[in-house]
Amino acid sequence: MSVYTEPLQALIDELNRLPGIGPKSAQRIAFHLLKIPKEDAARLAESIVVAKDRVHWCRVCFNVCDSDTCQFCADDGRDGRVVCVVEEARDIVAIERSGAFKGRYHVLQGAISPIEGIGPEQLRVRELVKRLEDDAITELILATNPNVEGDATASYLARLIKPIGVRVTRLASGLPQGGDLEFADEVTLGHALEGRREL
Amino acid sequence: MSVTVDVTRLWLDRFRGIAELDLELGHGLTVFVGANGQGKTTLLEAVSWVARCRSFRGVPDQVLVQAGHEQAVVRAEVRHDQRTMLFEAEIKSNGRNRVMLNKSAVSRRRDLQDLLRVSVFAPDDLELVKGGPAFRRVYLDELLGSLAARYDAAAMDYERILKHRNALLRSNSVDASYASTLEVFDEQLINAGSELVRGRLQLLGKLEGELREAYASLASTDTSVECTYESGWSTDALDGSEDIETLRSQLREALHRLRSKERERKLTLVGPHRDDLEIKLGGLGARHYASQGEQRTLALSLRLAGHRVITDLTGSTPVLLLDDVFSELDESRAAALVEWLPHGQTFLTTTGVLPASVTPELTLRIENGKVCQ
Repeated sequence: MSVYTEPLQALIDELNRLPGIGPKSAQRIAFHLLKIPKEDAARLAESIVVAKDRVHWCRVCFNVCDSDTCQFCADDGRDGRVVCVVEEARDIVAIERSGAFKGRYHVLQGAISPIEGIGPEQLRVRELVKRLEDDAITELILATNPNVEGDATASYLARLIKPIGVRVTRLASGLPQGGDLEFADEVTLGHALEGRREL
Repeated sequence: MSVTVDVTRLWLDRFRGIAELDLELGHGLTVFVGANGQGKTTLLEAVSWVARCRSFRGVPDQVLVQAGHEQAVVRAEVRHDQRTMLFEAEIKSNGRNRVMLNKSAVSRRRDLQDLLRVSVFAPDDLELVKGGPAFRRVYLDELLGSLAARYDAAAMDYERILKHRNALLRSNSVDASYASTLEVFDEQLINAGSELVRGRLQLLGKLEGELREAYASLASTDTSVECTYESGWSTDALDGSEDIETLRSQLREALHRLRSKERERKLTLVGPHRDDLEIKLGGLGARHYASQGEQRTLALSLRLAGHRVITDLTGSTPVLLLDDVFSELDESRAAALVEWLPHGQTFLTTTGVLPASVTPELTLRIENGKVCQ
């Protein structure tokens, strides 16, 4: 039983299907959209359609891009022998901001999560293995998230890829640089201690 | 010598049945006396909420907000030796709670926990002895978590890994990657599981002596009390002397042994989520053989032992909250309890008269959510 008039309820239902938007936020956004000028609403609708139309997955690494290959795969100045594997395209932005990585990427478009029915087949794993066979890649840096799903994905890939003869490394987890020791939580501090290096 | 932590003042606003209350509290033993349903336990619940950000009675937060109101507020002034701190909690009937320490927002529950710890005994704790293994696992894991963040993290990871692994076993997947995905989750289960078990065993090593002492003092008997860690996966009895590699390899072997059975049952059949802490009284399992009175005393002894271990390992004495504890004990055991009470601050509720030997520092009569002097 819907309290709202049909078109409004349909809008609320659509918004509610988006990640991170619950019934209450969906209502709030829907009412906001009703209040804004018609051209603003049209621009939003238009930008969704255009983005959907023009943005593709990079044919090589599955990053988002607006042509055949993404900016990193197209850049000859980058070291194609080292590939950093991330869960989502947005993770690339974070790594780029560090300025410490000059290789290429591979976006898995998710992490292994049996609870949600996501296994290696649902990720871009097959494509990664194909790249390893075709390209001259010597090292894979696994930069999946430091949580249960990200760790599982990293171990799965390590088991799969090490026999191929490619060097596989995992992003170190530890203290944020410039962070104050006092404010690091104990778990992170524990990992940092376990993963300590010789100076 | 441990640091004393005292709640020196408590303010409540719209918290359960208490509309408004401002209470000065002191060191040592404070007794809240009153008939049923007057708000004695609510006072303990408020103190424990500030320390743990949840009710010890296992109820959702909305229940704590007086009907028809948007929020309940609990404020507590806490003295830590020379330092005085103000804890404030706004518990919302709908929406995010707000917790502040000295007027600045606190985002992590642990930050409070290290400054104010509580040990709680409630009548439901009889389940620690009488109930199923899950109650005793929670008992151990809560103590561990309050001692070190890494065990909190290990327990949370373990639970998540277990869910993934069970989902995988249920999935009937025919994917080529199935076997190796399962192996990945086996390894994760083994790593988080052995970490958790090692923590439980080390804790148990410290608990057992305290439990024995607490039970002997309360029951004034020399009946033996023994604790053993029961696991369905280890080949030998575990006593805490094992290193992490031994635990890992034993858990790994058990998973291999049960591989086909697990696929048939579609469930993870071994691991710390199925282990138990077995308590024996005079050589017999307390869960089935002990009398009701013995079980009550043993449950209280478990809480007091945990309290002692926390005091010992953290160097500060938690505030001890004893809900309706005398209804559980006969006169001599009640007197023994008070005799045995640790040096820190204790809040105790009771409906009736106190045993003659008990002389609290402060007695407050609670009626209808108010203090009657």
